Amino acid sequence: MSAAPESKKMITDVFVEGARKGWGIGIGSIIPNIMMAFIIIKVLSMTGFLNILSTVFGPVMALFGVPGEGAAVLMAAVMSMGGAVGVTVGLLSEGALQARDLAILAPAIYLMGSTIQYAGRILGVVGTDGRRYPIMFGICILNALMAMFVMNLLV
Amino acid sequence: MKTDEQEKVSIGAYIALAFAVVFFSGLMKSNEWYGIFDFTTLNGSFGNMLKDATGGTTYFRGVGGSGARDGFMFALSLVPTCMFALGMIAVLEHFGALKAARKLLTPILRPIMGIPGTTGLAIIGSLQSTDVGAGLTKSLVDEGELNETEKDIFTAFQFSGGALIVNFFGSGAILFTLTDSTGAAVPGSIGLALAVMFVFKIVGANIMRFYLKTIDKKITAKIAEAN
Repeated sequence: MSAAPESKKMITDVFVEGARKGWGIGIGSIIPNIMMAFIIIKVLSMTGFLNILSTVFGPVMALFGVPGEGAAVLMAAVMSMGGAVGVTVGLLSEGALQARDLAILAPAIYLMGSTIQYAGRILGVVGTDGRRYPIMFGICILNALMAMFVMNLLV
Repeated sequence: MKTDEQEKVSIGAYIALAFAVVFFSGLMKSNEWYGIFDFTTLNGSFGNMLKDATGGTTYFRGVGGSGARDGFMFALSLVPTCMFALGMIAVLEHFGALKAARKLLTPILRPIMGIPGTTGLAIIGSLQSTDVGAGLTKSLVDEGELNETEKDIFTAFQFSGGALIVNFFGSGAILFTLTDSTGAAVPGSIGLALAVMFVFKIVGANIMRFYLKTIDKKITAKIAEAN
């Protein structure tokens, strides 16, 4: 964080350092997550489970202007944001989601994303009282749903 | 050392072995549903590179691929976007963009969330890293800068959309560079999505604020007593 040594760095070096971080995320997170999501979606689609998902969650997700398959994205998000992005991209490629659905789902993925993991890394570290955990999770889910509603109006 | 006879092998292990044999044998290779038990089927295929009008190939990923291979090629095509975005963020951060954001945002954020002035660094820190945000919050609580109510409000802000900037630019931003099967581009923008998420992080904090003030008075009192 100290300004003095950083200012001596060439700006190109700063960019390259950031890009290298991006490469790390690409190799460590994006590629494995998306590849796994493509395999899972192929399984869901071959077994007909994707159609079931679409029928069961269709009515609820319709409130937000998204097809029922969008529920799979939200379920994945609770585990991992990167995984949910993978599922989204896989469903887009499958034709189950359209471009507009992505815009609606994107903020929701992050607002309720990785909450299981962050329960330990945020609530645990801060020392949140156990009785407050349900409301914390509830707020994340509510935020995600409200964001979908707003995105549905905006895009 | 354990001998072969002493080592216990559960029934699950034999099932796993049997599955492995079937999975890699090609026995179930099919486009029917039971194809999901075959490695080659799930590995899928790379898409075909099609020639466009100029004789070049149209699309790096190819068309009509499936499974692991298609997923890999597609994900690979997203990596430059991610590298570019994080490279730019590093440059902007180098020039102090985040410090400026802190200066501008904290006087606005604090009153609308009802948390004290000492949280400025933690607010911005939590947008980049959940661990930095949580660590700073913890130390503010330990130093008595935040009381129980303020702690929970601030934690709600951090918990929904944790490490928003790094997480979103690391993966979510790529969603806005895609097109669907009809060729339509994703509407909205990275900026719009960021703004919506930021607003709802604040909304979430205020839901917690409201909840603590009205519905959850009992627990609040109990926690205060315990302390």
